[in-house]
Formats: sequence, C-alpha cells, structure tokens
Amino acid sequence: MRRFVLAVAMVVLGACQQNKPGRIGVITALTGSQQAFGQAHDRGYEIALEEINASGGVLGKPLEIVKYDDQSKADIANQGVSKLVDQDKVSALIGSYSSESTKAIVPLVARRGVPLLMPTATADNVLDNTQGWSFRLCSGATDYANAMLSFFKDVGMPKSVAIVYENTNFGQANGAAMKKAATDAHLPIATEESYTAKSPSYTAMLEKVKEKKPDAIYFASYLLDATSLMHQSRQVDLNPRYFTAAGTGFSTPEFPTAEKGAGKDAEYTFSVTQWMPESKWPGSAEFAKKFEARYGSVPAYHAVQAYTALKVMAEAVKKAGKWDPVAIRDALKATDIPQTTFGPVKFDARGQNLHPVLVTQVQKGKYQIVHPKSEATADPVVPTPKWSER
Amino acid sequence: MAFVQAFLNGLLVGGVYALIASGMALIFGVMRLVNFAHGAFLMLGTYLSYYGWVLLGLNPYFGFPLWGAVLFAFALGVYWLLVRRVMGANDFLQILLTEGISLALIGLAQLLFGADYRQINLPVANRITGFGSLHFSVGYILSFAVSLLLVIALTQFLGRTEMGRAIRAVAQNRTVAPLMGIRVERVSAITFGLGIACAGIAGALLLPIFWTNPTVGGPYTLKSFVIVVLGGMGSVQGAALGGLVLGVAEQFTAYTWADRYAEVVNFIIFLLVLLFRPQGLFGGKA
Repeated sequence: MRRFVLAVAMVVLGACQQNKPGRIGVITALTGSQQAFGQAHDRGYEIALEEINASGGVLGKPLEIVKYDDQSKADIANQGVSKLVDQDKVSALIGSYSSESTKAIVPLVARRGVPLLMPTATADNVLDNTQGWSFRLCSGATDYANAMLSFFKDVGMPKSVAIVYENTNFGQANGAAMKKAATDAHLPIATEESYTAKSPSYTAMLEKVKEKKPDAIYFASYLLDATSLMHQSRQVDLNPRYFTAAGTGFSTPEFPTAEKGAGKDAEYTFSVTQWMPESKWPGSAEFAKKFEARYGSVPAYHAVQAYTALKVMAEAVKKAGKWDPVAIRDALKATDIPQTTFGPVKFDARGQNLHPVLVTQVQKGKYQIVHPKSEATADPVVPTPKWSER
Repeated sequence: MAFVQAFLNGLLVGGVYALIASGMALIFGVMRLVNFAHGAFLMLGTYLSYYGWVLLGLNPYFGFPLWGAVLFAFALGVYWLLVRRVMGANDFLQILLTEGISLALIGLAQLLFGADYRQINLPVANRITGFGSLHFSVGYILSFAVSLLLVIALTQFLGRTEMGRAIRAVAQNRTVAPLMGIRVERVSAITFGLGIACAGIAGALLLPIFWTNPTVGGPYTLKSFVIVVLGGMGSVQGAALGGLVLGVAEQFTAYTWADRYAEVVNFIIFLLVLLFRPQGLFGGKA
C-alpha cells in the first residue's frame, strides 16, 4: 500500500515538474533587509500581470510568472537562476532588486543563454560581461551623480561634497560615480566614508564627516540606514548646505513617514529619483492611483520599474512570436516603445535604456520634484535650515 | 572632542552589547552550551516590545521587565522540551540544536509578523541632549542605563543569593554539585531562562533606537561570541566589560578608519584574544 501511494505521488510530482515553457521568472528580495523594495517590485509585477492577462495574455495564453525570493542576498539570487532556469524552464528572467544580487546573476544567465531584464540595479558594473544577454531598464549611478551635479549648478555649487555610502555594490558604485562626476566638475571631495548597512550607530562616522565641514553630503543608502543616518545627523548636529542622496532609501514613500522612516528628520533632503506619480509619461497617474487603491501607499519608482519591466518583457515575447530565449533576446534588442509608464524604452548597444533622472526634495513630508525645471512641482528650499533652527 | 564623543557613543552602544553577552556567558559558563539561538531570542524581545507599544501603548522602557519575564517562561519551555536532551552531549549536537531553534524561531517570526521591518517612533528616544559640544540621543542613554543596571543586578543575584550560589556551583563542577544537594537540572533551566531573558530585554531596549525584522538577531549572536571570548569564557562580569570594550572598539574603528571595517576589527580582536590570551582579557584562569 505504502509503495503504491509513493508511486502515485512520484508520478503526480513528476507531472508537476514537467518542462513547462512559456513562463517568465522573477527574482527579487521578498524577505531580508531589502524587503521594502522587494515588496514594491512584487506589487508592480502583480499589477502588470493582471493588466497583461486582462488584455489577452501573451501568444494566446494567459501569462504566468514564477517568483523567487533572493532574501536580499546575492548567493541566494544565484540559486534562483538555477532553480528558475534549470528546473522551472522559464524562457526569460527579470531581476533582481539590488545591484549586488543583480551583478551576481548576470554571468549565470549569459552562460545559460536566457535573457535578463534588470529593473532597478543602479551600479553600472551590472552591464559588464553581459555577452548581450542582459538589459537594464533603469538609469545608473553615473546618471544619478550627473543629475545631482546639474541640480547643484542650478542652485549654487557647494564648496565641497562628502560622499557617504553603504558598502555593497550599490553604494560603492554610486560613491565612485559621484567621486568621478565631482572631480570632473572641479568640486572638492571633503571625505569619503563607507559603512555597513546593519551598524547600530553611525555617530562616530558622522562626527568624522562633520569635522571635515562639507558643504554638501551625498548618501548612497538603503532605507533602514537612511533613517538612522538622518536621526543621527541631527544628533551630531551635522549641518551641510545640502543633504543629497542617490535615490533608493531616500526616495521611498516610507522614508518621510515617522512610522517606517525618518519622519521629520527626512525634511529638506534632496534625492535623485527615476519616476514620480506626477511624471508626465502616460499612465503614471493611473498606475499610482491603482497602486494606492490596492495597497494604501503611494508607489515609489521601484514599483513602476518592475511593472514596466514585465510589460516590456511581455512585448518582447509577443514580438518574438515564440517562447524561445534567443528570439526573446533579439526582440529585446530591437525594442523601441515610444511610450510606457516609465517613459520611452529603447536599449543601446550595451543593453542600457536611456532614462532621464529627476531630483526631488522632501517638503512637509512629501516628495516634490525640484529639478529639472521643466518637470518641477515646487521650488527647492535652500540652504537646508540648521537642526537648531528647524 | 569628536574623539571623546566617539568613545562615549561606543560605551552607550556597548552597554546593550554587555547585556546580550552576559546572557550568553551565563548560559555558556553554567551549561557549557554554545547558544546559536541567542540572536533569535533577542529578535523575539524586539517584537514583544514592538507589539507592546503598538497594541497596548506600553513604552519599552517600562515594559522590559514584562518582556523579560515572558521570555524567561518561554525559555523554560524550550529548555524542558529540547535543550535538556543535549545537555552533556557533544558540541556538534548542541550547535545543531540551537541553530535549529534559531531557524525555527526566525521562520515562525516571518510567518507571524511578516518579513517587513518594523520600527517605533518613541518621542523620548529621539530627543537629543548634551553638554558643550557633546551630543547624545536620549534613547541610547536610556538603553545603556537600563542594560547596565540589569547586568549589575545579575552579578549581584549570582553573588549573593542562594540560587546564585547554586548556579555558580554548577558552573564550577557539574559532577560534584548534585552531591551537595543542588538540583542541576533545575539550575540549568533557570540559567537558560535568565540568559535568554537578558537577550530578550536587550532586544526590547534596542527597538526604540534601532529597528527589527525576523533576521535582526544574527549579527548580535556573532558579536556575543566575540564578547564572551573577550571577557573570558563564561564570566558574566568579563562579558559585561567585554561588551563595553567592543562597543568602543567599533565606534573608534568607524571614527578613525571606516565603519565598514568595524566587523573586521571585531574578528581581529577575537583571533588575537584566542591566540594570546585565551582566558580572556579580564579573566584569571578559565
């Protein structure tokens, strides 16, 4: 009897694991320290999936995606590629969230010959050694640094900048990009500091930054560290003319709230961002409304990047006409969509989508676009008031 | 001045480390158990304190004795159910069991509370105080003060009460202690409960100045190992001092070198102590 049950179970399980082409694999950080961003991804994917299937699916069938949680760790993201590609036989991949995890999977997808679309990784080295298999939807660290310098030129160049970054691929890439952009613009670098995102206290590091008297600070931080950094900047009474940041933690809807972010200490911080509900691209306001109605919070750019990534991938599959990785890759290469919720999508020879960067400021607990002028929803408040005068 | 500030900030952070590590040192000293689940119990403390504040409006600085008591009781249960079975077994079994408990608790927390991180916004903890050019967060001062008082209370308990004497007797010799009429099993259970309560209370005190999610405890387990070695294996006073030393070392590293090297320096200290002073910085003989 027992043997019989076992045999049946094996047959059933075997059937489930059958090679089932026609799916897209998604890797993101559903748990771990970057969970807030992975959740934004997940919600973006869900909304996109629903819309794609409501309008007839892909190649005559409803689209299916298979998700894999990288637990905010690069080595787990690696395992995700073998799980999704070798076992689940997905024909294309989207992911992961962080630059660290994304960098780790780029060579693996190239080796397996499966196209990868990267929605959010800003470190520019994710486009090294792609062998033509990886494409990036978002702008990168260099674009961020250049956008911030262009903003500085508008409001008055600071006398010096301190660069403070978390010590993984994302932070290092953005720190290095700002260093290069600042050097090119003859902006002196007061100091460079790198930190581990799980440290319980950054006060010693911030004291050191304060001693260098920087006129501006450029942070590259995730959310939890961004929160602690701003609380502790107040503690050590660090008063630069501009607090600026490379998006990410400093541009999530949670960051200006007291419950999940820095609350009042987030006020006046500048950050680059890639998208806002107020962006002029068609569908931006609708997406934001839909997202808010369903999840009760305003989406950040991470959600719309995931949403757009799935739509772009679905378009590529349609254009390829079959669930074949090589055909999908070629379709991605030829992608030229003039209007998406995330702006025009077209990849250059390296696989990079050319996407404009905005600069926002937290004003009265809300993000306002302050740069470029053509997109601005408010004037920047400069200089940043001293902590004692707030 | 910034040097002094870094030193004092290090002490403040180190106070909480001292409490966490005292718990681990107690468990190691008395039960010879390497507790890989220490950080997971700390994580439970953070969630108790979080829900106490969110659902009951109970300030963590008043609620911590309650959360300590809850974790003490919970730890007794874990002891009778699981830990008791590996007492005296080889190290490998003990490590497997405590690591298993850790994984189970983290998984359970993800199931019950979700993987999302949580923080509370306690006005008093966010306030800044200071004199001259020195500035301190009131939250850190409170967490430091409570931690230190508890460590002192723990050493007094061990030094002056009948139960404390029994615990020390078991730590000295597990074989002879029962001949003196000490119920080793009961002493072990209470020791485990106390050690876990220390970790849990430290978690409750960390919440107002930090954040939590189910995996928040991991780094603290590692830090505790370093501190316990630093303080002399199993010495509670040693661990308390070791915690302060580690806190200061971390902040100094961040100030003079870079924050990202703080962990490197931790483990360098760990290796140096093991190599040159295996009895710990403050211990006499192990």
